[in-house]
Amino acid sequence: MIGRKLECIDAGSEYCPCFLAEANECITCSHLQGKEFCDCNWRGVCIYQEYVWAGNRKKGVRGSYPAAVVEKRDVSQNTFVYKLRVTKTLARQLDSPGAYVFMRDKEKPSFFDVPMSVMAVDAVKGEIQVALQVQGAKTKALAEPEKGIIIRGPYWNGILGQRYLKGVKNGNCLVIARGIGQAPAAKVAGYLVRSGNKVRVIVDPGKVGAVFIGDLIKDLPCEVEELDLNSRQGIKVVKRYLKNENHDLVFSGGSDKQHLHIIKEIDKLAQKPFIVVTNNNEICCGEGICGSCSTRIDSGVRVKACKVQLDVRRVIERRILNG
Amino acid sequence: MVNIVIIGGGWAGCAAALAAKQAGAQVLLLEKTDMLLGLGNVGGIMRNNGRYTAAEEMINLGAGKLFDITDRAARHTMVEFPGHSHASLYDVTKVEPMVRRLLREMGVEIRFMARAIDVIKKGNSIKGILMADDTVIEGDVFIETTGSTGPMGNCLKYGNGCAMCILRCPSFGPRTSISQRAGVEDILGQRGDECYGAFSGSCKLNKDSLSDEIREKLDRDGVAVLKVPAEDIKMEKLSVKVCQQYALREYAENVVLLDTGHAKLMTSYYPLEDLRKIPGLENARYEDPYSGGKGNSVRYLSMAPRNNSMKVDGLENLLCGGEKSGLFVGHTEAITTGSLAGHNSVRLALGMPLLELPRNLVTGDIIAYANEQIKHKDGLKKRYTFAGAEYFERMKERKMYTIDKKEIERRVSRMDLTDIFNEKLV
Repeated sequence: MIGRKLECIDAGSEYCPCFLAEANECITCSHLQGKEFCDCNWRGVCIYQEYVWAGNRKKGVRGSYPAAVVEKRDVSQNTFVYKLRVTKTLARQLDSPGAYVFMRDKEKPSFFDVPMSVMAVDAVKGEIQVALQVQGAKTKALAEPEKGIIIRGPYWNGILGQRYLKGVKNGNCLVIARGIGQAPAAKVAGYLVRSGNKVRVIVDPGKVGAVFIGDLIKDLPCEVEELDLNSRQGIKVVKRYLKNENHDLVFSGGSDKQHLHIIKEIDKLAQKPFIVVTNNNEICCGEGICGSCSTRIDSGVRVKACKVQLDVRRVIERRILNG
Repeated sequence: MVNIVIIGGGWAGCAAALAAKQAGAQVLLLEKTDMLLGLGNVGGIMRNNGRYTAAEEMINLGAGKLFDITDRAARHTMVEFPGHSHASLYDVTKVEPMVRRLLREMGVEIRFMARAIDVIKKGNSIKGILMADDTVIEGDVFIETTGSTGPMGNCLKYGNGCAMCILRCPSFGPRTSISQRAGVEDILGQRGDECYGAFSGSCKLNKDSLSDEIREKLDRDGVAVLKVPAEDIKMEKLSVKVCQQYALREYAENVVLLDTGHAKLMTSYYPLEDLRKIPGLENARYEDPYSGGKGNSVRYLSMAPRNNSMKVDGLENLLCGGEKSGLFVGHTEAITTGSLAGHNSVRLALGMPLLELPRNLVTGDIIAYANEQIKHKDGLKKRYTFAGAEYFERMKERKMYTIDKKEIERRVSRMDLTDIFNEKLV
């Protein structure tokens, strides 16, 4: 075994090949890493072929667009939900679990861009919803934008383990979401339900202090329960569900610590479900260029977490357990 | 119980599966597409020139089941075409289901759309094969028969781009070199101009797109030779071909069509506009590769170093066969190397000495000869086949070429190897 092959979320999309291919840093294609022969794992039209056909250049680059605020809803003191008007095309592109956009106050320079999970999409009207928890300079500026908002997208790597999410059908799934981690969970629950799965959703208001996806999941045929995941009672309930319900897939929306707790519980089970989690790396450019999301996996290889569908165990265990 | 896992279900993989089964193993065959035989689905030429000798040797050695199928599926036998005698042309539309049925009847487990992407190693031994769906398949001994063709990036870099061949990489994913993944570097074939790889040597035309006259001739004789217009004769094209047994002057000045169910066009590729200038081909269209007017698949980009028992050097429990095992061309060659790998996999699992076929049989000699040649730069530009070019000349010089079945039977029996592949070892 020589270096596992990595899976790029953008491979085969209209944004592939990208800047990384031009720099001989492609995540997928060995030719576009400067090697002489094929050694990839990409199932689709060859990325190298697309690159050569495009005149040895990258294909489309994601654009930045002004987005009108249709509605701003306060959830709690530090959290609010924006409903934004975007093009119908962008809305459609963002209509999948794990999709996110970069946002900033129109008056601010581009380094104010901050990634936000897309919580809900109305592709007919061309509207998206995002939830923001105010934490630092970027989010503070977005709380009171002076002249509207700029968004950049679409991006898709907000959730790790998407192949499992898209592969499990007619199974039994558990969705656990805490705090701002609720935002991506709404689309996950909807997706799993549409794939014929039986879904149980556990929501913890967490630091946000409120459940804000209620409206989005209330019509789904799934059982929803509110719990404090850090309380003894909450831990007991989650353990019980994991032990008794034979899940095919478990989703964790929340901190790395939460992911790790759930992984540890899963490891005790005889039949191990697939694990799908929110991508908590600090994403800054989304294009694999800036390096802020760069993380080491257990083999010591550096990967760009904004583009690579990482194996959650390999990255989280290293980061939390081994510092 | 001995568990043998074979990666790649082309002719070599099928032959390995049968041989391992005949030796008494539990056999799992992994195939990345939805069909067995790989390039054998668009091939069809058997028993031409020295392949006759080799096929009969294999039958006498006890590996005759696949030759029985290709004989039974033959549309034409004893066909003569430029440079080639007594060829037998199997029907490409019949042979795959026949092989699939045979393997299943013999108890070989086949998994389709099962693509190996990596290996799990312990020391110098392979513990398991990592599949594209993240599962791991364990076994005692592994046989790699993944071929050496593609995937798309290689066909682009060393050819004219993906020509949409039978391997269908965009649908079923790329080929993975198992030996390279296990840390053993691939050997690469070259062509005349020292570029890596070589084009597949033939295309298939849709028979219904040919003139009635040519179609009738193909149905009757199995072969049609048509003159190429003087301005389109390109001698240099011969040097980029895999199949050096067809790299003859006649093949530049004529187009040779063979009836294998489709009309097999004995050239790597041929621009459609030019092809349609030839009388009778005014409406011709390609059946395989779909873009045969532009290019063809590029091969010989991934060979494993091996010994003459087909074991891969540097790994304890990996064997190889077919194009993975050397610069071989053709189904007969794949069945020969695959069968030996399959048989030896069981010996290896049991700790028995591995079988080497003796060099006074053509089947043994080609395996050893190709292995010697691959060590030289010039040898990397050649191809080894019983059907022509350098190796067939060698067969003739050494008086090994014969179509006398009794004589071949005698040769095998003199070595005391009759039916060796049929011996149950487990």
